[in-house]
Amino acid sequence: MSQPEHRPELVVDGYPRRRPRWIELTTSADHKDVGRVMIGAAFGFFFIALVELLLMRLQLAVPENTVLTPVTFNRLLSLYGATAIFLFAIPLALGFFYYLAPLQAGARGTALPRVGQIGLWLYLAGATVLYSGYLFTPSEAGVNPLAPLSELAFLPNNGVDAWAAACGLATLGFVLLSVNLTATLHGLRAPGMAWRRLPVFAWAAGICSWLMLFIGPVMLAAITMLLIDRNFDGIFFADGSGGAPLLWSHLSWIFFTGAYMLILIFALGAIAEIVPVFSGRRLQGRRVVIGSLAAIAAIGTLAWMQNMLTSPIGIGWMYYAMLLSLALIVPFGLVFFNLISTMIGGALQMRAPLLFALGAISSISIGLAAEIEHSMVAVAWRLHNTTDATAATHFALIGGAVFGGFAALHYWFPKMTGRTMGETMARISFWTMGLGMLVAFVPLFVAGTDHGEVADAYKFFSGTGVSTLNLIATIGAFVLAIGILLTLVNAIFSRTGGPRAGHDQWGGDSLEWLALSPPEPHNFDVLPDVRSERPLRDIREAIAHRYRAVEPEQAARESQPVA
Amino acid sequence: MGPNSPGTDQIDTLLWIGFFAAAILIVAINGALIYAVRRYRGGRGSRASEAATGRRSQLRVGAALTAFAAVVFVLSVVYTDRARETPATGPAGLASARSAPLTISATGQQWLWRYEYPNEAFSYYKLVVPVDTTVELDLVSTDVIHTWNVPALAGKRDAVPGKTNHVVFRADEEGTFEGDAATLSGQAYAPMRTAVEVVSPAEYRAFLAKQKADIHAAQDRVVGLIEKGEVP
Repeated sequence: MSQPEHRPELVVDGYPRRRPRWIELTTSADHKDVGRVMIGAAFGFFFIALVELLLMRLQLAVPENTVLTPVTFNRLLSLYGATAIFLFAIPLALGFFYYLAPLQAGARGTALPRVGQIGLWLYLAGATVLYSGYLFTPSEAGVNPLAPLSELAFLPNNGVDAWAAACGLATLGFVLLSVNLTATLHGLRAPGMAWRRLPVFAWAAGICSWLMLFIGPVMLAAITMLLIDRNFDGIFFADGSGGAPLLWSHLSWIFFTGAYMLILIFALGAIAEIVPVFSGRRLQGRRVVIGSLAAIAAIGTLAWMQNMLTSPIGIGWMYYAMLLSLALIVPFGLVFFNLISTMIGGALQMRAPLLFALGAISSISIGLAAEIEHSMVAVAWRLHNTTDATAATHFALIGGAVFGGFAALHYWFPKMTGRTMGETMARISFWTMGLGMLVAFVPLFVAGTDHGEVADAYKFFSGTGVSTLNLIATIGAFVLAIGILLTLVNAIFSRTGGPRAGHDQWGGDSLEWLALSPPEPHNFDVLPDVRSERPLRDIREAIAHRYRAVEPEQAARESQPVA
Repeated sequence: MGPNSPGTDQIDTLLWIGFFAAAILIVAINGALIYAVRRYRGGRGSRASEAATGRRSQLRVGAALTAFAAVVFVLSVVYTDRARETPATGPAGLASARSAPLTISATGQQWLWRYEYPNEAFSYYKLVVPVDTTVELDLVSTDVIHTWNVPALAGKRDAVPGKTNHVVFRADEEGTFEGDAATLSGQAYAPMRTAVEVVSPAEYRAFLAKQKADIHAAQDRVVGLIEKGEVP
């Protein structure tokens, strides 16, 4: 085989002209651009979810309030649930994974960039569909639109269709992003970057991608069935004629429980990067932490029936769900143990990322401990769907997605933008948020356990003993929102106005700190041969060693008289 | 919300066990966190130790957590099984419910509970039961999922269309106990409440007879009106 001979030809005249930044960003399939758009969009939708939450809390500030009509409340509730889960928490986690995992694995790009790009745009299309529901009628079926309430007979307008199409598009996007992440982590790791040397956050990315590859299709199947039921006279979830309303409960809870675990694994993965760096120590029990995260994904998702303990399912299944839920104490406990024992004996630098990471650990621990009660079968018969459940879920998921997400944001912001976020603002925001969390959700624990206030209701009645508690909770929600807004504003202003950051702002040990801040499109000019789980520390030590070896030589040479 | 039924006693006890289990974990984790931050906040010149947590301490912590989870699991199974036990009708209860529980059908429908008694009488919103008598509610739904929830008497159970779920309780005191529905069922979910009125067996029988007579009278009146051509 012979190549036709070509004469050398000048094909490039200068650098290619760069198009405007927004065109570059929206047409790019680069994992960093996709990741940035996802993170930005997720925080944008977070703001919207927050507004919806505050409106609902306003309605629940006083008994028998009439600020919102029942229908409006149910619409806000449904939008809030879909926005917080499908448009904020999951894409935030995936956005950070998508940006950082390839860098941490030492990849120069991703394996299937266009697949990931489609994933991003499906997610944004889903968001557009959900909010264009405002043009007609949003869903009224609640956070998890349980069949048969979500069937055509009971909600005949297009709201549930918009919900289903939106969440379906977004979920399909998450699955495609996960396909690319999995392929990249399996195929494009740097030389020497064995699985056992992969940073914990990249492991979390791998675990969550695999998890999404399992739970995503389950949700897509359920949504497809719901759309067939509603639009083509299907009977999947219809009672009678062979349908089963509980089928939707099972399928949707598999997804939602898996997503719950995904968000927590994301947060714990990020915290496991942050805590060692700011403690000046290596992560204790690295393998145990990674194994625990994988166990959380598997066991946690299999415990989906923990949400169905009042359903007509056999007592054996209830005990099975309880066994798996309580088994989660072990992996979660081991992760907490190793994170804290990393700090014990370290020299802690109390910077913003660590502060938010500690807040996340604390908040997640409270939420998960409260969830223990909800997995104890007889207690669930008392506490199911009370505000106690709302509070437990919010402690765990706000701990994961918001405190954990903000920890990740403060930690990797310098890498993504080349600037550092304001430290004072971060501190004010953190303490406001911490106060807001406690004031907003502790009263709901009390209202749920002591007074049995039910969740999702558009009003509560006076004389049921929960009026003061709800008023306090509303005030707390506003405090929490102020704290959150401070960080969002801080991020916006720090993008262009923050102090400039170097390529290795915090003295991290993983490969993303080798790249420039922000990284070049090809990520790395040179890749080191990875020899341990802390490649950057190896490089720093090699330089120090070399310096120690070379310096005396040079000093000797310089002190020689010039001939 | 004191216990008014043998099953809710067990639920209360287990709730406290769960509360203490949660409290132990919350205090342990957050206490360790606060200790670590206060003790190891790095000043100038403080250096991190390189000592590693060994395999043994990992195993020990893992074993302790497993034991903790196992104890919580066993206690939960024990108390859940006790809460599920069908209590026997007491001496003050309805005599006919000695051998088998008094079975009442509860139908969830948007947005009202309908109760059907053994003598074909029915009532909406308010359920009347005799004191000290084992009552079994057969929960069904004609539209969407509803959750029957009267915390003073029994645990929550879902009424799912196409399925029958069961609640068993024995009210030990006379009185009225209220509850909210606990699964979002549409627009009027919040006001979809129910009340259980616990009365003496004699009053219960009188209520059934009166309810049945009233229903028949109303039906006869309607039928009479229709026959006379005056459709109401």
